[in-house]
Amino acid sequence: MAVWNYLESLLPQLVLIAFALVLPALDYLFKDKRVLALVALVPLVSLVVLLVGWLFLDAWTVSTSMLDLIEVNAFSGLFMLVFLFVGIVVVLGSPEFIRADRNQGEYYSLILLAIVGMTVVAESTDLIALFVGLEIAGISSFALSGFRKSEKRSAEAATKYFIIGGFSSALTLFAITLIYGIAGTTRIAGIEPMLAGNPAGIDAEPILTLASVLLMAGLGFKIAMVPFHMWAPDVYEGAPTPISGLLAAASKKMGFAALFKIFLIGMILTKTDWEVAIAALAIITMTVGNLVAVSQTSIKRMLAYSSIAQAGYILIALPVGTQYALAGGLFHILTHAFMKSGAFMVVAAMGAVAIGERLEDFKGLNKRSPILALTMTLFLLSLAGIPPLAGFASKFVLFSSAVSASLDPGPSWLIWLAVAGVLNSALSLYYYARVIKYMYMDKGLETTVKVPPILTVAILFAVVMVVGIGIFPDPFVEACRTAAEAFAGLPSGWP
Amino acid sequence: MFGSIPIISIIILLPLIGAIATFCLGRYEKYAKWVALSFSLAALVLSVLVAVDFMVEPDGSATGYHEGNGFFDFQYYEEYSWIQSLGIRYIVGLDGIGLPLFLLTTLLTTLSILFSWDTKHRPKAYFGLMLILEVGVLGVFSTLDYFVFYIFWEVVLIPMYFLIGVWGGPRKDYAAIKFFIYTHIASLAMLIAIMAMYFQSGINSFGMEDIWRAGLSEFGRTFQIVAFAATFFGFGVKLPMVPFHTWLPDAHVEAPTAGSVLLAGLLLKMGGYGIIRVSMPTLPEGADAMQLVMAVIAVASILYGAMVCLAQRDLKKMVAYSSISHMGFVLLGFATFTQLGIVAGVFQMFAHGLVTAVLFMMCGVVQHHAGTRMIPSLGGLSKKMPNAATMMTIGFLASLGLPGLVSFAAEFMVFASVYQTWGLWLLVPMIAVAVTAGYYLWALQRSMFGPLTENIDTSHVHDINWFEGVPVGTLIALIAIFGVFPLVVFKYIDPAVRIVQVLFAGGG
Repeated sequence: MAVWNYLESLLPQLVLIAFALVLPALDYLFKDKRVLALVALVPLVSLVVLLVGWLFLDAWTVSTSMLDLIEVNAFSGLFMLVFLFVGIVVVLGSPEFIRADRNQGEYYSLILLAIVGMTVVAESTDLIALFVGLEIAGISSFALSGFRKSEKRSAEAATKYFIIGGFSSALTLFAITLIYGIAGTTRIAGIEPMLAGNPAGIDAEPILTLASVLLMAGLGFKIAMVPFHMWAPDVYEGAPTPISGLLAAASKKMGFAALFKIFLIGMILTKTDWEVAIAALAIITMTVGNLVAVSQTSIKRMLAYSSIAQAGYILIALPVGTQYALAGGLFHILTHAFMKSGAFMVVAAMGAVAIGERLEDFKGLNKRSPILALTMTLFLLSLAGIPPLAGFASKFVLFSSAVSASLDPGPSWLIWLAVAGVLNSALSLYYYARVIKYMYMDKGLETTVKVPPILTVAILFAVVMVVGIGIFPDPFVEACRTAAEAFAGLPSGWP
Repeated sequence: MFGSIPIISIIILLPLIGAIATFCLGRYEKYAKWVALSFSLAALVLSVLVAVDFMVEPDGSATGYHEGNGFFDFQYYEEYSWIQSLGIRYIVGLDGIGLPLFLLTTLLTTLSILFSWDTKHRPKAYFGLMLILEVGVLGVFSTLDYFVFYIFWEVVLIPMYFLIGVWGGPRKDYAAIKFFIYTHIASLAMLIAIMAMYFQSGINSFGMEDIWRAGLSEFGRTFQIVAFAATFFGFGVKLPMVPFHTWLPDAHVEAPTAGSVLLAGLLLKMGGYGIIRVSMPTLPEGADAMQLVMAVIAVASILYGAMVCLAQRDLKKMVAYSSISHMGFVLLGFATFTQLGIVAGVFQMFAHGLVTAVLFMMCGVVQHHAGTRMIPSLGGLSKKMPNAATMMTIGFLASLGLPGLVSFAAEFMVFASVYQTWGLWLLVPMIAVAVTAGYYLWALQRSMFGPLTENIDTSHVHDINWFEGVPVGTLIALIAIFGVFPLVVFKYIDPAVRIVQVLFAGGG
């Protein structure tokens, strides 16, 4: 059973792939295409149940690995949970949105495949496996964003995403090549010890710096870090709205999984050089994201810039570099997945009932659909970090980690990351509150709309998580803590 | 009286349940005010019972007695673990500083709900939001864990944002967002200071008492000064202190009357409460270094607020600026670092809560009946609304510090403590007393007395409604009672403040 041993740790991916292969065929069997969504939910929900059960059994500290390529541990488990949760929300949000479209089987199939790619990235212990995961997820997402191929905006989004994605993959691959060239290994954990031994017999420093820069650029595209963020608003705007949710809430998080792995495990050696640079990038990213979001007139573009800003917050974890900070970053990744996918589902619901996707269309929404207005308010307040919602809890951990590290062990400038973070949160409140104002205080059309039940389920699921995590953050903080402890090389930093 | 009943939590929960019930009324929205009133009244009755049961000089037999061992002593103490991994607990309790403000909260909310009895525009949301606001303020005045404190602190912002933004005046959009963001930034400064205190203390606890105790040895002088400056900014914006007061006139002028009452009566008190509960005891060396800054800002607020009042044409805006002036007395009392001054500061918060509520309600009455609050358009209204004119006169006299009414006791004590500390510098804030008397009497003369105005149509102006008269009358009665017997409140505040003195003796 040697083969089985190898495959055991890939079991979740295999299940997802199996369903992904079956779904296009089912497309021909069922007239009512909503069945396809239900089928796609089967593996997602059952895997979530398994993972959460695993969490409660305290089994997250156990890790299994395969061929030094894949390791399943608490870190990958947490990311898998994020991807699956987002997958559930997106799949629930899709049937009404795409009910008039063709090729629905392929649509769900591609969502599952994208999730496979993301989970592979989170589990990879080898740069090659990581790259393969990035590509699986990337190619599925390109196709998904161009799903409405007859629609100009969708096609444009897909083309843009494809070109930028291909470029960023090339940069990443080039960086991996360089690392392999000087270290003689593609194992992430092996890079540092190999470099210490200096197998190539050369001064590795400049090449490693070049590789770091290329990686920052390549993965920076994935997480939409300034200045590599330009594609995100166009793509989010053009893609079908549930897919925008998938890209913002899950695909982006995959980039973070890769970034954390490579930088926190692989290149601790050169840390002193890049922590200032990344801190600066984090602050620039959050500030640019928030400033530009203020002037948007399309809700999807506004959410795109807001998620650029959120990427800036999460980046704080890297320069701070303690397990506590990493846990904060992971926690924010988790909560952001719910807030952002939830917000996109509200937008999708508005599209599905033909209200529209401009900011203006939110005017008087409270009259037209109180449930959409209320849930959107909760998502936006959570994104702004207003307690007692999930976004506050995770921002609290994240920002406090910068405060903590600035006091001990230093350097003390790290506190500016927290200051920049809270100031940006206040700034972001401006454009979030404006949407809330539109919904509750301005007059719009009076016709009430009826949100399709399946979309309501998706939105309510996200709301329950946003409020639930906000009120009972403890198990999630613990899960993030366990996940962060997988990075044994980092100082603890826990209070 | 209450044995092991978690009475504070119940009082905080009542308005929350009431809010949910109000929101859920569906098409029976005309009952919203009844639901809201009954829940707020229940909270008021229970909090009065708590005040009656509260032991002024507590010993072991006091209900839920928790001895602070150098920190404040609390009664009705409850403690539950909440987020273990970060040492966050839900702790509530009351002492002599929190109790008067706690009581003020339940009182003003109930009266504001009554005052808004004829609200027709979206009553479910209106009354529900007022109850949520009450939850937040009650939480702030009773919680003893920084994390929970911050949550309650922020919870207050959202209902107020909606109250201004939906039911406000012509420039409500601008005022609502300015209020929201301005005070949110201040809260965030406080949040960073809280985080810093938490990590600097080196213990995994957000409990105020735990951090205070650890701080005695862990907080160095530089740290204290920086942290004090951050919390002082956070609380001072709420207070508000010059030059961070600009959100207040906008918010007040645009807010609906009940919103203004709660804003001035309760939200401003949160700032003062934070300074006396958090900043000064926990960071005494920081306070010591900043004493002069506090005093100068306080005097500047007192004088600037009073001067600007003279120039106002809008009655409500004048009252709003007078709040800045009067809250300056709170800060000035605290800045003396004397027991007398701190007691006076806390008492001034209580007094101002009562008086300013009357003033804003009377502005609302004038607006409601005459259709404008612009002083030049008004005049001689006492002929049309004699009862209202009487109430307004009493309110104005109380606010300018007429002896026998509640503000006099408070302001007199502040002046006495200033004299103790800084001698004849007392004369500088004293100027404000004359200015205050000036702008109030002048405004009264121009709006209520003299010949009946011809600028507006006064044929439909009638006297004050019952639902407006009852809250104002209640408040006026309390103003008179506590004005004659201020000791009733002092004896509550006094023991708690004595502990502040001990803190300073040990820390600064």
